[in-house]
Amino acid sequence: MIIADRKPIDDIKNMLSPYKKILLVGCGTCVSVCMTGGEKEVGILASELRIISELEKKGWEISEDTIQRQCDREYIEPLSEKFEAADIIMSLACGVGIQYMAEVFPRHMVLPAINTTFYGTTVSEGEWQERCAGCGDCVLHLTMGICPVARCSKGLYNGPCGGTDKGKCEISSDLDCAWYMIYNRMKDLGKLDMIGTFIPPRSWKASLNGGPRKRVREDLKK
Amino acid sequence: MSSDFEPKIVAFCCKFCAYTAADLAGSMRLEYPSTVRIIQLLCSGRVDVLHLLKAFENGADAAFVAG
Repeated sequence: MIIADRKPIDDIKNMLSPYKKILLVGCGTCVSVCMTGGEKEVGILASELRIISELEKKGWEISEDTIQRQCDREYIEPLSEKFEAADIIMSLACGVGIQYMAEVFPRHMVLPAINTTFYGTTVSEGEWQERCAGCGDCVLHLTMGICPVARCSKGLYNGPCGGTDKGKCEISSDLDCAWYMIYNRMKDLGKLDMIGTFIPPRSWKASLNGGPRKRVREDLKK
Repeated sequence: MSSDFEPKIVAFCCKFCAYTAADLAGSMRLEYPSTVRIIQLLCSGRVDVLHLLKAFENGADAAFVAG
């Protein structure tokens, strides 16, 4: 899922300062699961803003809504009446949702309440870790299901490097060395011979180096 | 802050312990400030950050959870 962090309240306050009628829109998918921009977090932000409005006499009128997904038009379009009634929209979705809401309603400005950070997973209650970099050319079959692009600090395709230290990365003792994990998993699964397989330099065209990416399936297009 | 300031306090109380204590206080004719407003819950574990924020939003100076 996409992981995100809420922006500091002062940043949010400054963005909203020129406006009166504010619509906060949450997203019921990734940012709900990582507890940044779901229905509950919309409620918390709305409450904080009402308190600020009262204390600082801002006169804000805050309304709230949370839709299933902000990255799909069919969920966004039913918000049209609420968009019309608001001076400004603030989205608690990832960067995709924020942009797509602005695209669906081009006459409205949509502000971000959160910072989108990475593709990750919940490793324990309250902790999320990066697992995928969306690089467009997956090598997980060669690296025992551990991504060297997202999880090796240097993104090495052939490792470990000289900076591995008792299973930790040289950049931080809190960080597991991805290639140490890859080596151990190869060993556990009896595939240690794979560690010697050279992974050649790749083309990064499938990553952002080729510009914004798109996917088209002609058979599904109308 | 003036000395006669009397804070409005919302008390979230568990039905089975803290609320019962407040009930007993009533039976014993013990007084507590009228600015304390008690909200009975089936369990203080029900309290969520949204409840606390709502209390402040509606003018409470403090909130306490007892259970």
